[in-house]
Amino acid sequence: MSLVSTLSSATEALMAQEEALSVTNDNISNANTAGYAREIVNFDEEAPTEENGVSLGNGVTVESVTSVQDELLNMRIQQQTSDQSSATAQVNALDTLQTLFPSSGTSLSSALSSFFTGLTALSSNPDSSADRETVISDAQTLVNQFNSISAGLSGPTSSLNTTVQTDVTSINQLTAQAASLNSQIVAQNATGQTSGTLTDQLNQIENQLSELTNISVTHTSEGDSITTGSGTPLVLGGQSFNLSTDTDSSGNTQVLDSGGANITSDISSGDLGGTLQVRDTDIPSLLSSIDTLANQFATAFNAAQAKGYDATGAAGTALFTVSSTVAGSAASISLTTTDPNAIAASSDGTSGSNGNVTNLASLESTALATGSGSATDQAANITYQVGELASTASANSTAIATSLTSLTDEQSSVSGVSIDEESANLIRYQQAYEAAAKVVTTIESLFDTTIGMISGT
Amino acid sequence: MRFVANISNDVIANIENSDTSVETALQEVSTGQKVNQPSDDPAAAAAMVELQAQGANIDQYTSNTESVLSQAQDADSVLTSVVSLLNQAITLGTEGANTYEAASDRDSIASQVSGLLSSVVSLANTTYQGISLFGGTVNGTAFTADSSSSTGYTYNGNSSVNTVQVGASLSVQANIPGDTLFTASGSSVLGALSDLATALKTGTSAQIGSATTEITTALNYVSDQHAVYGNTINQLQSQETYLASDTVSLSTTETSLIGIDTATAAEDLTQAETDNNAVLSASAKVLQNTLLTYLPN
Repeated sequence: MSLVSTLSSATEALMAQEEALSVTNDNISNANTAGYAREIVNFDEEAPTEENGVSLGNGVTVESVTSVQDELLNMRIQQQTSDQSSATAQVNALDTLQTLFPSSGTSLSSALSSFFTGLTALSSNPDSSADRETVISDAQTLVNQFNSISAGLSGPTSSLNTTVQTDVTSINQLTAQAASLNSQIVAQNATGQTSGTLTDQLNQIENQLSELTNISVTHTSEGDSITTGSGTPLVLGGQSFNLSTDTDSSGNTQVLDSGGANITSDISSGDLGGTLQVRDTDIPSLLSSIDTLANQFATAFNAAQAKGYDATGAAGTALFTVSSTVAGSAASISLTTTDPNAIAASSDGTSGSNGNVTNLASLESTALATGSGSATDQAANITYQVGELASTASANSTAIATSLTSLTDEQSSVSGVSIDEESANLIRYQQAYEAAAKVVTTIESLFDTTIGMISGT
Repeated sequence: MRFVANISNDVIANIENSDTSVETALQEVSTGQKVNQPSDDPAAAAAMVELQAQGANIDQYTSNTESVLSQAQDADSVLTSVVSLLNQAITLGTEGANTYEAASDRDSIASQVSGLLSSVVSLANTTYQGISLFGGTVNGTAFTADSSSSTGYTYNGNSSVNTVQVGASLSVQANIPGDTLFTASGSSVLGALSDLATALKTGTSAQIGSATTEITTALNYVSDQHAVYGNTINQLQSQETYLASDTVSLSTTETSLIGIDTATAAEDLTQAETDNNAVLSASAKVLQNTLLTYLPN
């Protein structure tokens, strides 16, 4: 083997170590880049040459640079990420909703309770105008509570609609990027080059997509095909399919696929899924409970009023105005009068009689309508309902966070950059580079010796 | 599994968890409650709604009890006075029935009896905080003078009785109407007194005697009615005691449902703080440790 070929193999060694240093540098630089998977350099021996029956090694070559990934882990992380953002969206929305049902201070239940104790007070002194004023003002507080809780429950719907629109816009941007990355990956694969960086980016986009909604990813020769959890295509090769939004008759934003079909009810998980769950399931069920209570309470109370006589001796008339349909009752309930005399406490028309107070006050603890609970029971149930929704969402969020942390740890263990490891590699490659450089200087001095021999100096 | 390359995420998550525990413990100490919003314990929060309603009711029952009690005590003392007035009338009647009594003396006794009658009427018109005690459910003066009436007075009230709710399942009678107490047929107090006055003025000894017997009958009747108030007062007093003990047991239930005792809360807080310190100091150690620290420059 000639000095020249040794020199050239030493040069190759220098270049290989340089490349390794550059990969190490890249790893260190991206140690904190989200979605970056560490890259490793695969060195390979050059093919040996036969010389005088002896096989001599020809140095080193960089065979490839590989990005270290675990596809299965990535998919599980995407799935958990979807569930996590769904739970987070629900926790955020429901935490706001449950502040409408405080356990101390003025609440629906305290307003109901004050109203009924005010009525019971009339029992000992039905003629007292102060006590009657109290009942009317308590009734006003109660009506205000119904109105404001109904508004408080409906209020978030408009901001949730905005979230749906923003999410859909983000999904469209991400799918467009994914489609473009797919094309680049296909083009790069055609040249035989590795595509670690592009794959990392695509993975990262898929992660962001799964934060928004549940997706399913299939690897194909055309890049990654992405569909929603229910199968609506989002990305096929280099092509992306935009989702769009539309407003339905009740003012709620609906999600449409690229063909215009409504897929709102199929969307699960992710920020979009969580938002839709709160908007389309949780809020309507709470609203319906509060509407039922408002409607049954007002109807039953008005019926009890009709059994008695007011302070002027006239037959009792309705105290609450409420719509005949249950839906919207809490929002529209109001007082028919602010006249304290209107409370029909009397059972015989005399102002001192308290005979009808029992009928009025008993609604607190007897069923408001057949098959339903008393006013207090229903108020307690609503508190339970909202508490249960919020606590389930928050428990889910905690559980998923734990499993997501362990998955992320696993991913970090596979793909994460360790500064310690890279520092060690840095020294390793530095030493190898220095040694190869030493070989070059040695050969140079050998050349010098040989040339000196020729020139005879 | 290879080691976890980047532990800073774990470290941050641990610090966050530990901070949350400290925050929760602090909230428990400062509020004395472990349920501060419905999601902390939905079932307990719902049970609290019922308990608070019950508590408010008990407070109201207590105030109703107190109000009815003083009303009943007022009425009770009125009847005591009526009874003593009737006893005086019997004494006067017995005196007037003596055959040797001069007509002028009888006239003077008759005017004393008339005085007793108007005293009884004025007692029957007693009001309690604006409520006529013996007017049934009608407000205003129960008995007013009326020359066309045989007793000289007419009843303006009605025969209605109010029962006041003083417990979840206990109501007590708050009043006895004036027509039951003072003008009941057969044992009318006002009738007996006015009959006696008339008999003293114009009647014979026998008529005065029978008018006196009439008053005795009325006296017995009023004494019986007096017992009704006595019972009511007893009932209300024991209800007051019961409601007070109910309030205590209710607040005990509330505390066990959503409260946390100070010792436990303080211990939780100390524990959370200790954990937090441990997590923070461990994090500070772990995060600094890299190979680079040991490499020569």
